[in-house]
Amino acid sequence: MKQKPRVAVFDFADCEGCELEIADLEEEVLDLLEIADVVSFREVMKEHSDDYDIAIVEGSIMRPMDEKRLRSIRNHAKILVALGACATMGGVNKIRNQWMPDEVIKEVYGDTNLKGNELFDVFQTKALNEVVPVDYYVHGCPIDRDEFKSVITAIALGKKPDIPRYPVCVECKKNENICQFELGSFCLGPITRAGCKAICPTHNSPCEGCRGLIKKAETDCVKEVLERYKLSYEDIRRRCTMYNYGRKECSYDE
Amino acid sequence: MKQIVKTITKKDFSTFVNTLIKDGSYDVVGVQAKGKCYVFDTLSSAEELRLNYDVTILPPKKYFLPQYEMLLKFSLQKPYEAKETITDSPRIIIGVHPYDIIALEQTDRHYFDQQQDNFYKKRRENTLIIGVDIQNVSERSFAASMNTNTTETGFDLLLTDIGTSYAVTIGSEKGEKLLKKYATVKDASSTDLTKIKTARNAVLKKYKQKMKIEKKDWSSLLVANYEHAIWEEHADVCMECSSCTMVCPTCFCYDVKEDVSLNLKQGNRTRTWDGCMLKDFTKVGSGEVFRDEVKERYRHRFFRKGNYLPARYGFIACVGCGRCGSACLPDIADPCNLINELAHFSSENDPGKYFIKEENEVLEKGIIHLPRSATIKNITHFNELDSLFEIELDDKKPLGHKPGQFVEISVFGYGEAPFGISTPPGNTPIFEIMVRQVGNVTKKLCSLQPGDKIGIRGPLGNGFDTKSFEGKTLLFTSGGTGMVPMRSIINHVLNPKERNKFKDIIILYGAKRPKEITFMDDVDRWKKIHDVQCELTVDRCEPSECWGGCTGLITTLFPKIQADKLDSKNTISIVIGPPVMYKFVIKCLQTLGIPDDNIYVSLERRMKCGVAKCGHCQINGVYVCKEGPVFNYAQLKQLPEAF
Ligand SMILES: Cc1cc2nc3c(=O)[nH]c(=O)nc-3n(C[C@H](O)[C@H](O)[C@H](O)COP(=O)(O)OP(=O)(O)OC[C@H]3O[C@@H](n4cnc5c(N)ncnc54)[C@H](O)[C@@H]3O)c2cc1C
Ligand code: SF4
Ligand code: SF4
Ligand code: SF4
Ligand code: SF4
Ligand code: SF4
Ligand code: FES
Repeated sequence: MKQKPRVAVFDFADCEGCELEIADLEEEVLDLLEIADVVSFREVMKEHSDDYDIAIVEGSIMRPMDEKRLRSIRNHAKILVALGACATMGGVNKIRNQWMPDEVIKEVYGDTNLKGNELFDVFQTKALNEVVPVDYYVHGCPIDRDEFKSVITAIALGKKPDIPRYPVCVECKKNENICQFELGSFCLGPITRAGCKAICPTHNSPCEGCRGLIKKAETDCVKEVLERYKLSYEDIRRRCTMYNYGRKECSYDE
Repeated sequence: MKQIVKTITKKDFSTFVNTLIKDGSYDVVGVQAKGKCYVFDTLSSAEELRLNYDVTILPPKKYFLPQYEMLLKFSLQKPYEAKETITDSPRIIIGVHPYDIIALEQTDRHYFDQQQDNFYKKRRENTLIIGVDIQNVSERSFAASMNTNTTETGFDLLLTDIGTSYAVTIGSEKGEKLLKKYATVKDASSTDLTKIKTARNAVLKKYKQKMKIEKKDWSSLLVANYEHAIWEEHADVCMECSSCTMVCPTCFCYDVKEDVSLNLKQGNRTRTWDGCMLKDFTKVGSGEVFRDEVKERYRHRFFRKGNYLPARYGFIACVGCGRCGSACLPDIADPCNLINELAHFSSENDPGKYFIKEENEVLEKGIIHLPRSATIKNITHFNELDSLFEIELDDKKPLGHKPGQFVEISVFGYGEAPFGISTPPGNTPIFEIMVRQVGNVTKKLCSLQPGDKIGIRGPLGNGFDTKSFEGKTLLFTSGGTGMVPMRSIINHVLNPKERNKFKDIIILYGAKRPKEITFMDDVDRWKKIHDVQCELTVDRCEPSECWGGCTGLITTLFPKIQADKLDSKNTISIVIGPPVMYKFVIKCLQTLGIPDDNIYVSLERRMKCGVAKCGHCQINGVYVCKEGPVFNYAQLKQLPEAF
């Protein structure tokens, strides 16, 4: 029999929520272990190995030392998977890119002298693909377990995963939700990539765009809708800051 | 037809519903409140019913074409195992408005057309519809203008609120039996019948949205304004969200997906609602998007409702429910508004025709999702991308195809894709296809080995009617992979039993590079036949490539045609190649004096179902998978989306 691929899971700056989603696969974890050997996964095991084929990487890149570590992971791995919004696009960690790193350090740690401390030597937050090439993306904050599974099976079968390029509204309509705009709120669903089963509007909160924008917020249609619903551009800009600060629309193969 | 009408007191009606729920023979679904809106959902008590609702967020189509519906289960461990998975149980839907009933009748027309969708059919047969006359009208509904505010057919029972009772119009035997078994009813008096009329009329004044023109005039108005600036103006603010198609009771296009279990042991094929407003709806493996501009997609949606489906089935495929109008954030989706806006403009223009009607014979009736198993006998790799597959159907029945038809090939776990058949018709279960690697299915196919199993649906599409070419000179022009189906028809007419039915045969064949020339054995054979002229060219060739033949585009071959062979009026020309090729080749043919009527082409579009259901392959009002892929050029050129 062909040898099972060896998988390692790594994390950078993040909340580890996405790794938890994997750990929470429960009995399906066993199915996963049938097709792959997990050789490193800090969240659930002590052992660690540098001999792996597939690296699943969570979190954003904040410091030169992260960058170095990510490059080394990339060198070891045949396939690199970005897991969760922090990794795929910088996510919430990019909120701080509104300010310069020094300002942020000062704001958080006051006047404590951190010069020379590698751990606090931060630059502006980067997504993984701003440092190394990424082969597969599992979007979302946190990720959708079913989508994670479909990306993993796609890798195992050697095919391209089927990641939607249409907006969240499609899934939202299929769930028969009352639109957030009808409820007097507003929502990034029309310009955000689907694939999360529209989980937020389905639980009655607006989409925050965690799977990435497929349309820029600065388009005529967005302006038209804002106007019709008497919203200001500032509202939507602020909403986009949450996950999409400084980002353009997603490229086709992300 | 005179319908029987009964009455039931509101109290007895509640008892009737509660008895049905308790009985448990049916899943009892009814209209319920969801916030300030309404939805169809399973009832736990008659109390939950809101029969005076205005409109539901989604139409009842979700019970017949569910948002996600598993079609097949397959094994990835066994060489070949796939089963259709129909899981549906008896259901009663209470409170369907007339416009939604009419929409279901329209969907029947489509899903029962020729090759019946057995999933849809099963769900329809399993369900009783208890309709209700409209009492409250939603802000955006214009059903009264569409004559869809009332209906005489399509329900098992229809309720009308006449005060302390409901009048119950019996629409079917099933409905009648249900009443007999579970309800206490009385015969309706003539006063009751008058009350029904009064109740229906009273609602009419509640419509705020009204059409300025009659619905029979939609079609000509749309056609006259195909190029109108309105499409672009509105499309500029379209979000491309397809909410308008998702909520529409008469939108029934779907996509098909392949899911595999995490242990890679089995998987399933599922269909899910798709919408023509989404860009990927027409995107093919090569990256081309056939309706690339939002304007084209936006226009397509209205034409499908107001012109394409009317031409095909005779009804306007909009029932005026108003759901799209309320769902569209920039508010550009409402057909009533759009038609009223267009109504200011003329409908005098030359009414073009965007539809080709052609009924072809149906080979398999009923089974449209389950492929037959087949075995790969042999694989020949022409170059890094193109491989020839010899395939045998495991049931050993002849494929029974015509030249120009195609098959849908399944590789479980990867999906399904259409391929032209490249062998001539014959009484054999063995046939060949050529596969160029572009995406998931094609790449996986090319990694398979002889002996591996695949799934086959088909033959599909119309194919060439070679009988109508008899007595004529045949001029074949193919570029690139166009040679795949071309080889089928060429070898068919060169078959000794057929050959004398046709005059001279001329074959022009162009490829990008020498190594992309496929079927060289056939080409060599054709070259040796005395009454066949066969010319080859490549667009380009590196000095390192050994190529003695012509270089230049396919059009450079036309001057080589031996003029004495070509009696243009008696020549049939068949052209198959990449989209860019057609325009230039057709110009050459016209220069030669070949009438458009004598030119045939074969087109490629994104396909999923292959049986005129899923909507992906449409060119204007034409389904390429059914009315095509072979088209007569004179007919095809009427379709603006064709080239
Ligand atoms: C009538 C017809 C005849 C064809 N004949 C041949 C042939 O003889 N040889 C050959 O190599 N190719 C042929 N094609 C093209 C072939 O079907 C596509 O290359 C193939 O579907 C790509 O599938 P994929 O999964 O590899 O690519 P992906 O990009 O992963 O496509 C995903 C899915 O989209 C659909 N799709 C994508 N591209 C096309 C397309 N061009 N046409 C239709 N559906 C598409 C299919 O359902 C496919 O499974 C033909 C297409 C049509 C419509
Ligand atoms: S993407 Fe969200 S859930 Fe995942 S690690 Fe980052 S912050 Fe946590
Ligand atoms: S709630 Fe959001 S995602 Fe849902 S339809 Fe409205 S805008 Fe789209
Ligand atoms: S609805 Fe929006 S914010 Fe919520 S999970 Fe989906 S993409 Fe993320
Ligand atoms: S087009 Fe709009 S109004 Fe017409 S049936 Fe569909 S959703 Fe209803
Ligand atoms: S017309 Fe409206 S609902 Fe339809 S895709 Fe465009 S914005 Fe969405
Ligand atoms: S309608 Fe589904 S492929 Fe033609």
